Amino acid sequence: MSNAPHILVIDDESQIRRAIRTILTEKGFRVTTASRGEEGLTLAATNEPDIIILDLGLPDMDGVEVCARLREWTQCPIIILSVRDSEHDKVAALDAGADDYLTKPFGIEELLARVRVALRHSTSRQGAQTKLVKAGSLTIDLVWHIVKRGEEEVKLTGTEHKLLAYLAANHGRVLTHQNILTQVWGPADANHTEYLRVYMRQLRKKLEVDPERPQYILTEPGIGYRFISDG
Amino acid sequence: MNFAPMKSSSFISQFWQYLFSLSVIAAITAIFFALRGILDITLIALLYLIPLGMITAFQGLGPGISSALLSFLTLNYFFIQPYYTLAAHRPADVVILIIFLIVAVVISQLVGRMRASLAKATAREREATQLYELSTILTGLHDDHTIIQVLTKQIQAVSQGEYVELSTTGARAFTYHLPEIDPPPRLPELTVPIQAARGVLGEIRLWKAEPAISSEEKRLLQTFASQGALALERAWLVEAESRAKVLEESDHLKSILLSSVSHELRTPLSTIKAASSSLRGNEVSWDSHARVELIAAIDDEADHLNMLVGNLLDMSRIESGALKPKREWNILSEIVESVLARMRYSADEHKLEVDIPENLPFVSVDYVQMEQVFTNLVSNSLKYAPASTKIQIRAYIEGDTIHTQVSNQGPQVPPEHLERIFDKFYRVTAADRVTGTGLGLSICKGIIEAHGGRIWAENITDGFAFNFTLPLTWDGQLPMDTETE
Repeated sequence: MSNAPHILVIDDESQIRRAIRTILTEKGFRVTTASRGEEGLTLAATNEPDIIILDLGLPDMDGVEVCARLREWTQCPIIILSVRDSEHDKVAALDAGADDYLTKPFGIEELLARVRVALRHSTSRQGAQTKLVKAGSLTIDLVWHIVKRGEEEVKLTGTEHKLLAYLAANHGRVLTHQNILTQVWGPADANHTEYLRVYMRQLRKKLEVDPERPQYILTEPGIGYRFISDG
Repeated sequence: MNFAPMKSSSFISQFWQYLFSLSVIAAITAIFFALRGILDITLIALLYLIPLGMITAFQGLGPGISSALLSFLTLNYFFIQPYYTLAAHRPADVVILIIFLIVAVVISQLVGRMRASLAKATAREREATQLYELSTILTGLHDDHTIIQVLTKQIQAVSQGEYVELSTTGARAFTYHLPEIDPPPRLPELTVPIQAARGVLGEIRLWKAEPAISSEEKRLLQTFASQGALALERAWLVEAESRAKVLEESDHLKSILLSSVSHELRTPLSTIKAASSSLRGNEVSWDSHARVELIAAIDDEADHLNMLVGNLLDMSRIESGALKPKREWNILSEIVESVLARMRYSADEHKLEVDIPENLPFVSVDYVQMEQVFTNLVSNSLKYAPASTKIQIRAYIEGDTIHTQVSNQGPQVPPEHLERIFDKFYRVTAADRVTGTGLGLSICKGIIEAHGGRIWAENITDGFAFNFTLPLTWDGQLPMDTETE
């Protein structure tokens, strides 16, 4: 059991801690819990967990702040657990360095899926940089800038390629509008969400089987986008 | 309008009055002098009384008495022998002179007094009229700002001051002045407090250097001030009363909401409790079909409960005005498609059709809130429209708005309900026949209105439709041209 992935859960609600601990332990993870931000930060430093599950509403400090302070020294994946309808908080947490978020109440399957994605990231961070991202029939070569759908190469414009490469390099993670716009277009265009909408539509037309029901480039309502790879 | 007595108090105009009166006497004397041979002395003395009376009547008591004295002297000097002296030889002439003096002075005084009291009466009547006018206007007013403005206008008109300023103090401080320029760079000549039973409400400030403010004016302004105070108090009382009424109504609504909400919350909770307790109590065997059913019920009801709480939160945000759309330029069809993709399973018995033109411009909306609008409208349609009928979502430009319609082939709604279906907890059908929170449509209304749009329902030829409009522009701006490479 000592090799089992270690998950730190920081949440002030004891019922949630109890439920997550029970389920994750059942699934073979090692689980440590904390009910306060400071306690969580200390445990993260001493235990070096593989994944941190973090609630935004903590009694002693804001989850976003915990996130930012963790990011000062660790790249450990952080999954945010947040109550409904606080897109603003979620975006703030993601911009502060969180990898993913989940809305409360959540299905346990969803949580496990996010944990699996985060674990992959945590291992890929330790190893070499991803060069090839596969998603369904898509192959994206991040080194040679080649995108293939099956055997056929997909022609992309410069910006489309830059955008897809950034999404694919961060596959599985939720990327906020601002984050993508800053990375692909530059900080001056960080608020021009309409660029994103237009280019995402173009990309989906070229890549998705059914552009209206995308499977690879998913919209995270009010927050951003997420690229789903086979991982 | 003006204050007649004020004019005579001015030194210069008084001087001209005297000069004029004495000139009249001089002119009359010149005429009589020319007729000295023809007219008898007694007749001349009598004729002198006519202009004297008129002067007093028109110019006032002072000029009248002075003219009487002057005529007495000219009569003596020019018409009584010996001429050109102020002496009289004949006893009869002495009598004439004395009688003339007495009569002239008495007439002047009588006419003068009459005139003064007439002027006073006129002034009083004018004051009364002005007060009456003011109170008539003020009675109809219930807004303190308008009251202040009307009062200022009236004071300005009545006083002919160069600058009038009114201000109220306290929490509802307001200042109004006429003319609408900066006040003269000096202290006001007159300051009258607007005094009510519960204290000073404000102040009237009048700048009027020339002619100086008379005591009558001061009195009138004080009356105006107390009229104003009464009107202001009444306005504030009416307002306080209506506020109390609104509070009472919202209190009533809140208690309806609370009782309705606790009912709505208990329903899924009782299902969850029943299912979980029977699972815990080992009353159903582990591999039975019932167990799967119970677990599914817990899961579904938890989702339902979550939706309910979410709706309540949204509703309270809408009602407190805290629902501020985070607007961005979005593609409407993308929002619709993502909603439909999520609702695919619940909508598998219906035919969903989307008709949104590819070239529809960007809409400036909050993505998440618009998702909710479509989710609520479509799930409402799913609930009432029979299986295997068509649910259609259309959008097109209409004038300076984007018109969206969610239509279904469900039953029509009686016209009297069309307006009210967007009200909280309003249901056309009995509550126990349809699941839901009774909040979905009112949330849609709140969201659309927060976006500056309008939402309404209508019966169409083969069913029922929700319509809403969204402004094409955002802060007066059209969507920017996003040319792609």
